[in-house]
Amino acid sequence: MKKLLIISSFLAIACTCCAQLTINLVLNTKPPAIISQWASTAGTVTLIVNNQQAPRRAKIKVTITTVSGDAVATTDLTSATIFLFNDGNTILNTTSVFPFELQRFVGKYQNTINKTGALPADNYMFCVELIDPNSAGAVAAKQCRNFIVANTQLPVLMMPYNEQLLDQRKANTAIIFRWTPLTPAQQSSINYRLQVFEILPGQQPMQALRANQPIVDRVITNTTQFIWQPQGILHAYAVSDTTTDSTNSSVQITDKMKSNKIFPSNSQKISKYIWTIQTTNSQGVPYNQTDGSGEGRSEPKIFIVQ
Amino acid sequence: MRIFFIILICITSKVIAQKKAPVSLSGTAGITYEGYGLNRNPTGFTGYQPRRPYNQVRFNFNPIIKAGKNFNLPININFAALPTNFAGPYTGIKKPTFGQFITNPSNSFGLNPTYKWAELQLGTQYLKYSDLSTGDIAIFGAGFVLKPGDFRIKFFTGKSQQGIDYAPTPLPAVQGAFKRTHYMFSIGKEKEGNYLVAFNFAKGKDDIASVATPPLTILPQESFAVSMQVNKFFKKGFYITTEIADAIFTKNENDAASVTIKSFKPFIEAKNSTVQDAAAQISLGKKSKDLDVGLTAKYIGAGFQVTGYPYLQPDKFDYTVNTRFNAFKKSTNVVASIGQRVNNISNTTTKAKQFIGNLNWFTQVNDKFSFNINFNNFGFNSNGSTTLGIPSIKNVSTDAGFTPTYTWVNTSMSNTISLNYNYSNYKETYILAGVPTTQLNNTHTALLSYIPVYFNKTLSPDFSALYFYNTATAVKIMFTTLSAGLAMPVAKNKIKLRGQLQYTLGKLSGFSADNNFIASANVDYAINKKLTWANYLTTNYYKYGNQLGNPFIGANYLESTLRTGLQVKF
Repeated sequence: MKKLLIISSFLAIACTCCAQLTINLVLNTKPPAIISQWASTAGTVTLIVNNQQAPRRAKIKVTITTVSGDAVATTDLTSATIFLFNDGNTILNTTSVFPFELQRFVGKYQNTINKTGALPADNYMFCVELIDPNSAGAVAAKQCRNFIVANTQLPVLMMPYNEQLLDQRKANTAIIFRWTPLTPAQQSSINYRLQVFEILPGQQPMQALRANQPIVDRVITNTTQFIWQPQGILHAYAVSDTTTDSTNSSVQITDKMKSNKIFPSNSQKISKYIWTIQTTNSQGVPYNQTDGSGEGRSEPKIFIVQ
Repeated sequence: MRIFFIILICITSKVIAQKKAPVSLSGTAGITYEGYGLNRNPTGFTGYQPRRPYNQVRFNFNPIIKAGKNFNLPININFAALPTNFAGPYTGIKKPTFGQFITNPSNSFGLNPTYKWAELQLGTQYLKYSDLSTGDIAIFGAGFVLKPGDFRIKFFTGKSQQGIDYAPTPLPAVQGAFKRTHYMFSIGKEKEGNYLVAFNFAKGKDDIASVATPPLTILPQESFAVSMQVNKFFKKGFYITTEIADAIFTKNENDAASVTIKSFKPFIEAKNSTVQDAAAQISLGKKSKDLDVGLTAKYIGAGFQVTGYPYLQPDKFDYTVNTRFNAFKKSTNVVASIGQRVNNISNTTTKAKQFIGNLNWFTQVNDKFSFNINFNNFGFNSNGSTTLGIPSIKNVSTDAGFTPTYTWVNTSMSNTISLNYNYSNYKETYILAGVPTTQLNNTHTALLSYIPVYFNKTLSPDFSALYFYNTATAVKIMFTTLSAGLAMPVAKNKIKLRGQLQYTLGKLSGFSADNNFIASANVDYAINKKLTWANYLTTNYYKYGNQLGNPFIGANYLESTLRTGLQVKF
């Protein structure tokens, strides 16, 4: 056993001497799922190249495989930048090590990236080599690190469901809000910011969300339910059910809404609300910034109080 | 822009040519003041935040000018004196420029001159050509709708938001936004109540140079979408509506041009963050007086995004079967739906499935007695991944309610008493490495209400009592609410009064009780046939028990809202 270790060490030293350069790869084990975001996310990839001898030129070759060995991507070396490594340490970031436009993805992965911008959720291996631009031989020992991709999906609002009619007498005391959790589940804390906006007469629902001060603005951590006491704020702008035409309200009372109410009546007044959840990490940074509004807000739903 | 002027000249000349045509003006105009006050005790207690702007004035002016039979000019002007944006591109804005004021979602300045089948759309417009193309936000700009015969031609361009610099201070921070320009076009044929075939095109693009200090987390985006709609309505109430769409979306315009992703010039140039995906929806069924049956399905691909629908959640497929029918000589009405929704269908991570079911059953047994049953259920299931260290999630929410109502009548009044009981159960389970962690949440709600109606008096009182009890892991919440309302007209029906009192006793686990008292009043005064003065006043006093601990035991707040407004019809 000792002999084997000595031989291995000797071979490793010999190889390093031949290669002249040594590299140290630091990789975020959970980088952004959207692969084009890697370059703009600090600390995704850091490569430290140490040269103890004369200045040496080299290209950086990255290969990505699944942990089971399936090829995912490799750098197009014909277009790759040639770096000059002088004596001492050179520190390179993601933009230099992993320029997205130079990566060639295997067919099915390229198709997925074209559609979603992200790699499929899986466990991957990221390897870096330094290649001599003339001989195409390796000038530094290859280094590999594992990383996981798990694209997050914002919560879906469940209760009150879209256009649900709530009885004012019950709603005045408490309204229960429920939503699905951020998926996949995270190990760190998740903040769900619940916002409810009153739709004023004459307003469109989306206008109310983007223009009004919310009547509820609460951050709920790790829980997907909130019991809200309205305390008299409901119904301040109630309009008659029978007068909800286009000049008064953008939300028409449909047969579906009427049939879902507990106490059918045509004479009562209604007020309308739009609610959403903004999902952030514990530092308040929204999830899924590359989607839609970039605010990490879930698709809003409307409820009506009568 | 030339085409706008040509159409405007055509419309104007036609109007002038109709010398004998009468010109009429009708509509509404009004001004409303809202005042808000919040007084918190003791000093230093900030556990309750303001819920409305302290002062706000809103104006509305909505006239319609009609000239002859064929010309209409509806004008829509609504604006608020102070910006109050808490979500979206204008979040936190305090001193808007004129351009930002005009395009702030708080405000609308639009006019739509229409002559026969030609309509100009000027100023603020909410244009939803279809569910999968243009969007649901306001755009300030210009465009037209032409409907010669069965043909439909639409075009619009404008801004949904101006460039807004990010500013972290003073609080609240200004989120910032890039100026966003939209272009949309639609061409098709339609016969209302019969069919629709249309092709829609929508483009949105952010201007990177529109801000000196870019937003921290918002990226400049660009999208181009094409959709085709086919709707057909048959005899006997059968219908089918469909739309398929494809969108190219750039998540970050700052990225380098892509050599691997295909551009669609001149509409959009692909960048490294550009994605392309499809979406589709279909709805079919039958509608009639006593029976509705329908199927709705919607697919949104993981990369399907358009700038006009900023809150659209992609990567999902859902379908719902729904029905509504009347039975037993219309004494019974049933509405039910059942469906499933699948998220993360792109396999970029583990799929998440939701089951959704709703039922509402109402039966009028006889003149005196009726009952209502409602049932809602949704289940959420995400499998997780052991190899990726992601726990699986299983959530189930069930709500069931029963409401019997009894009415009896004598010579002077009718009396209605109803009791509603609702049970709500919510179970959240996380399973990591085979070990489940479950949180149970049960809620019982009981509401008793009594509404007398006097035949010879103008008083309209109502009374109700509610009990709410929620239990969760280590937490119990209880509310008991008593409320009473009274409405009555006075001054020969010129003034309508309504008052409401509500008292709630709240209790959290083992803490002492909270007390909440709310009083509200509406006074609507019809000064004359055209002028009304509406007033609303509410006050909310809340006093905590000992749940907040020292030094805030017994903390309390008084919150008041006043709204007063004049509205004139002309």
